[in-house]
Amino acid sequence: MSVPVARRQLLARKGRTLAGLLGIALALLLVLALTGILAGAEQRLTGYIDRSGANVVVAQEGVRTMHMTESALPAQAANAIAAIPGVERAIPIVYVPTMLERGNKRALVYLIGEDRSAETLALASGRRAAAGEIVVDEALADMIGAGRGTTVASLGRRFRVVGEIAGTASLASSIALAERSDLSRVLRSEGTVNYVFVRGQEGVAAEELAARIERAVPGVTASTRAEFSRSERRLVGDMSTDIVRAMILVGFLIGVAVAGLVAYNATLSQLRDYAVLRALGLRARQALTVVLAQVGVLVVSGFLLALALVVLLAWLLPQLSPTLAVSIQRGDVLLSFAVAAPVSAVAAAFPVLRVARVDPASVFRR
Amino acid sequence: MSSITDCPRAPAALALGGRVPVARRQLLCEPAKLAVSVLAIAAAVALVLLLTGLRRGIGEQVTLYIDRQPALLVGQAGARNFIGQTSVLPETLGVRLERVSGVAAATPISKQFAMLTLHGRRVLPLLVGFDPGKPGGPWDLAAGRAPRARGEIVLDRVLADEHGLKVGSIVEHRGTPLRVVGLSRGTTAWMTPLAFAMRATLNALSRQPGTATFFLVRPGAGVSPVALAAGIERALPGVSAFTREEAAANDRSLFTGAFNGVLLAMVTIAFAVAIMVIGLTVYSSTSERGREYATLKALGLRRRALLRLAAGQAGALALAGTALGAGLAFAGLSVAAAVAPKYLIVVTAESVALMGAAALAMALAAAFLPARYLARLDPASAFRR
Repeated sequence: MSVPVARRQLLARKGRTLAGLLGIALALLLVLALTGILAGAEQRLTGYIDRSGANVVVAQEGVRTMHMTESALPAQAANAIAAIPGVERAIPIVYVPTMLERGNKRALVYLIGEDRSAETLALASGRRAAAGEIVVDEALADMIGAGRGTTVASLGRRFRVVGEIAGTASLASSIALAERSDLSRVLRSEGTVNYVFVRGQEGVAAEELAARIERAVPGVTASTRAEFSRSERRLVGDMSTDIVRAMILVGFLIGVAVAGLVAYNATLSQLRDYAVLRALGLRARQALTVVLAQVGVLVVSGFLLALALVVLLAWLLPQLSPTLAVSIQRGDVLLSFAVAAPVSAVAAAFPVLRVARVDPASVFRR
Repeated sequence: MSSITDCPRAPAALALGGRVPVARRQLLCEPAKLAVSVLAIAAAVALVLLLTGLRRGIGEQVTLYIDRQPALLVGQAGARNFIGQTSVLPETLGVRLERVSGVAAATPISKQFAMLTLHGRRVLPLLVGFDPGKPGGPWDLAAGRAPRARGEIVLDRVLADEHGLKVGSIVEHRGTPLRVVGLSRGTTAWMTPLAFAMRATLNALSRQPGTATFFLVRPGAGVSPVALAAGIERALPGVSAFTREEAAANDRSLFTGAFNGVLLAMVTIAFAVAIMVIGLTVYSSTSERGREYATLKALGLRRRALLRLAAGQAGALALAGTALGAGLAFAGLSVAAAVAPKYLIVVTAESVALMGAAALAMALAAAFLPARYLARLDPASAFRR
C-alpha cells in the first residue's frame, strides 16, 4: 500500500502551506502584473491605428510609428495617394502631442486633426468636431471634468467639447480629435499633414497597396496597418526591456526565497518523520523525491494562483482607473512559468540538502 | 521538530534562571532559514527602493536640458511644458521679444523627438535644434565638435557607445542621413537622451521653415524672471512665458506620473511579499515551539511578554531585511551605473528611512498571526505529553 507522504506533509499544516503558496504567487505576480500592464499600455497605444479602418498607413520616409514621433508630408501627398489604383480613400491627418487644460487640471493628449468625413474612430457619444471644437476620450473627460458642452484649452486656443470616444486613454495620455484645417492653422502648418491613412479597395492586398504607394509617391514610407501597429507596440517593449528583465530577476529571487523558505520550514518540522521513514527503509533518493514533489506542487499551485490574481487585477484595475489596462498575453504567461520552473529547482535545494543529511538512527535517540 | 533547547546555548541560559533572549535565540537557531527569510524581505525592499529611485531618476533626467538654459522660456500660447508640449512660433518673434523691457537676449530653438532605430531597437533622443554660436547647443563635448552645417548631429556619448557610433558615423532620421560630428557629455537619460543639430536641420525635417519651437530668454541683470514672464505675456499676445523651474516641474510631473500606476502595483505586491515572508517565518518558528511557549506560559510568562516575543522577532526580521535591502539597492545602483549608465536611480537617505518605517508597519502586520496563536495557546498543553 502506498502512502501519499508528500501530500500529507503539505496538508499537515494547511495555514503554513497556504501562506507559502500565496508568497510564491505574489512573487510570480510581480512578473505577470508588470508584463500585463505593459502589454495593456501597448494595446492602448495602437487604439487609433487599429480602429481607424485603414489598410495602409503612409508617413514621412523612414517613419514607422506615431507615438512620440515626428512625420511631415506635403498635403498634396494625400491627393497623389488617392489617385493610385486600388486606393478607395486616402485620409490625411495632423497629429500633435499637447496638453489639454480645463481649469487647473491638465492632461497629455495626442490631438488628431481629421476631416469631418474621415470616420476613423467611432464616437461613444456626441458628434464630430468642426472648427473650434474637440472630441475627447470619456476617461479623460472624467479625469479633467471635460464633459460635452464644456470648454478646454490647448495650443493657446479654446475648444468646445462636442463628442466622446472610448478606450484610448492609457497611463500617460489619450487621443482627442479636432478638425484638420482648424488644427493646421493653430500649428502654422497649412500645406503639411503628418500621416495619410489609406483604405484599399476590396480584393487589394495591403502589402501590394503599400508597395504601389511607395513606388508612386517619393519620400514616403507606406506600412500595412498590421506592420505599423506592431512597430508602434514594439516602442513600449524596446523602452522597457531592461526594466522587465530586472523585474523578472527580482521576481525570481523573491520566488526562490519564499518557495525555499516554505519547503525548508516544512522539511525541518518533519525531519523526525523523514528519519522514521528512512529507518523503515525509505531510500535517500525516495525521500528527496518527496521533497521535490512538495516544492513542485507549491510552485505550480503558486503559479496558478498568480494567474488567477492577474486575471482579477485585469478586471479590477480598469474599474479603479480607466487609464490602467492589463492585458494577459500567452507569451507572458509562458515567461512567468519559465521563471517558476527554475524557482522550484533552486528552492528545493534548501530542504534537499537537509533531508540528504538525515541519519535514520536519530529517530531512536530520544 | 527543532526547539529553543536545540540551540547550543539555550539550556545553560535557562538553567541559570537569568533573562533569556528567547526571541533572538529562536531567530538565530536556524541560521539558514533566517538567511533565506532576510534575503526574501531584502529583495522586496530593494525592489521598492530601486523602483522609486528609478522614478526619481526619470524626474531628474527629463529636465537635463532646461536645467542648463536661461531662466525663461517662451512658447506658443498655452504652453507650460518643455518636453511634452508642441509649440510653433515664427522665428521673427525674437526681435519683438528683445524689445520687451527686461529681456537681455532671446534665442530661438527647435526640438523634436528623433525616433532612431539602432540595432533593431527604438531609441528616442530629444533632438534640439540651435543656431551655431548662440545658446541652446551642447554644453560639454566629449569628442568632436558642435554641428555647424545642415545634416550634422551631436549624440549623447553613452547612447553612441551603446550602439557603437563614433564621430563620423551616419544615423538615419526621417529618411535623412545625419552625420555624427560630436559626442556630448552629461546628456544621458533613459527615456530622453539629448542630441543636437542645427535648427535649420530640424525645420527642414519638419517642413516648417522660419519657425521655432521655443525661445530661450535671458532676463537683464536684476530682473525677476517671474515678473518678466508676466511682462512678456502682456506685451506679446499669443505667447506663453514661463520660468525654467515651472517647465521642469511640469515635465517631471508628466513623465513620472506615467510611471505611477505601474509603481503602485509593484510596490503593493512587494510589500505584500515582505509581510508574507515575515509572517511566515515568525509564525512557523512560533508554532513549531508551541510546547516551549506553553511551558513559558505555565511558568508565569504573561501574555503581553509573549506577544512582545512575536513582535520582537517580526521587527528584527523586518529591520534586518530593510538593512540588507538598502545594501542591495545601493549595490544595484553601482552595477547600473557601471553596466547601464543611461539609468539614473536616485536612492536617498529619506527613502531608506521611509522604508525603515514601512518595515516596522510590515512587522506589526506580520506579527498578527503568531500573536494570535500565542494568545490562544493553552499553558496546560505543556504537560500533555
